[in-house]
Amino acid sequence: MGAWRFVFLAYGIVWCAILIYWITLKRRLRRAETELAQLRAFEESQSNAQT
Amino acid sequence: MAEISNRRNQRKGYLGAAALITVLVGLYWGLLHAPPDAYQGEVQRIMYLHIPSILTAYLSFFLVFVGSCLYLWKKEKRDDILAYSAAEIGVLFTALTIAEGSIWGRPTWGVWWTWDARLTLTAILLLIFAGYLMLRSLTEEENRAASSAAVLGIIGFLDIPLIHMSVYWWRTLHQPPSILRPDKAPWENVHPAMLTALAINFVGFVLLYFYLLSLRFRLGEMREEIKARWLNRGN
Repeated sequence: MGAWRFVFLAYGIVWCAILIYWITLKRRLRRAETELAQLRAFEESQSNAQT
Repeated sequence: MAEISNRRNQRKGYLGAAALITVLVGLYWGLLHAPPDAYQGEVQRIMYLHIPSILTAYLSFFLVFVGSCLYLWKKEKRDDILAYSAAEIGVLFTALTIAEGSIWGRPTWGVWWTWDARLTLTAILLLIFAGYLMLRSLTEEENRAASSAAVLGIIGFLDIPLIHMSVYWWRTLHQPPSILRPDKAPWENVHPAMLTALAINFVGFVLLYFYLLSLRFRLGEMREEIKARWLNRGN
C-alpha cells in the first residue's frame, strides 16, 4: 500500500485539477454566452426601434 | 450562423467524448494492466501521467510560440487568442507535471524537490508563463499587452530545448529520456505493455488538450466580440 498512496495522490491531484479547470472554463463560457446574448438582444431591439 | 455554431459544438462534443474514452482506457491500462517496474515498483505508474502531461505542455507552448510569431507579424486577433488560450492550458499542464514529479520523487529519490537542472528549468518555464498570464490580466492597454506577451511567449518557448537537453549537458539527478532518445527506439528500451500504457495516456492527454483548447479559444473569441459590441455601443 505504501507506494500506491503516492500513485493515488498523483492521479487524484491531476484529475481533480483538470476537472476543476474544465468546470471553471464551462462556467466562464456560459457567462460570456449570456452576456453576448443580452448584448445581441439589446442591439436588435435598438435597431427595431429605429426602423 | 446558428447552424455553424451547432456544428462546432457537435465537433467539440465528439472531441470531448473521444478524450474521455481514451483517458479512461489509459487509466485502466496504466493502473491495472501494465506491470510494475522492476526497480521502482508501483510508483512508476505516475510516469503514465508525468510524461504525457509534460509533452502536452510542450505542445501547448509550441502553439503559444506559433500564435505569438503570427500575431507579431500579422497583428491578427485570432493568433493572439490562440497564444493566450494555449498559454493558460500550458501553465496548468506544467504545474501538474511538477506536482506529479514531486510525488514520484519522494519515494524514488527521497526528496519532494531538488535543484536539479531539469527541475529548475521546468520551474522557470512555469514562472515565465505564469508571468505571461499576469501580464495579460494586469496590462490595461490591450494591444500593448498582446505584443509584450507575444515576445514573452517566444522567449519562454526557448526554455523547452534547454529543458530537454539539460540531462545531457549537466550531470543531473533527473534520468535521461527513456522515450525520446537518439540512440534507441522506444520499443527497444521500454516493455511493450508499459509503452502501450504511455501511448494511450499520451493520446488521451492530447485529445483532452485540444478539447480544452477549443473551449478556451471559443471563450477568447466571445470576449473579443463582447468588447467590440460594447465599443460600438459607446460610439
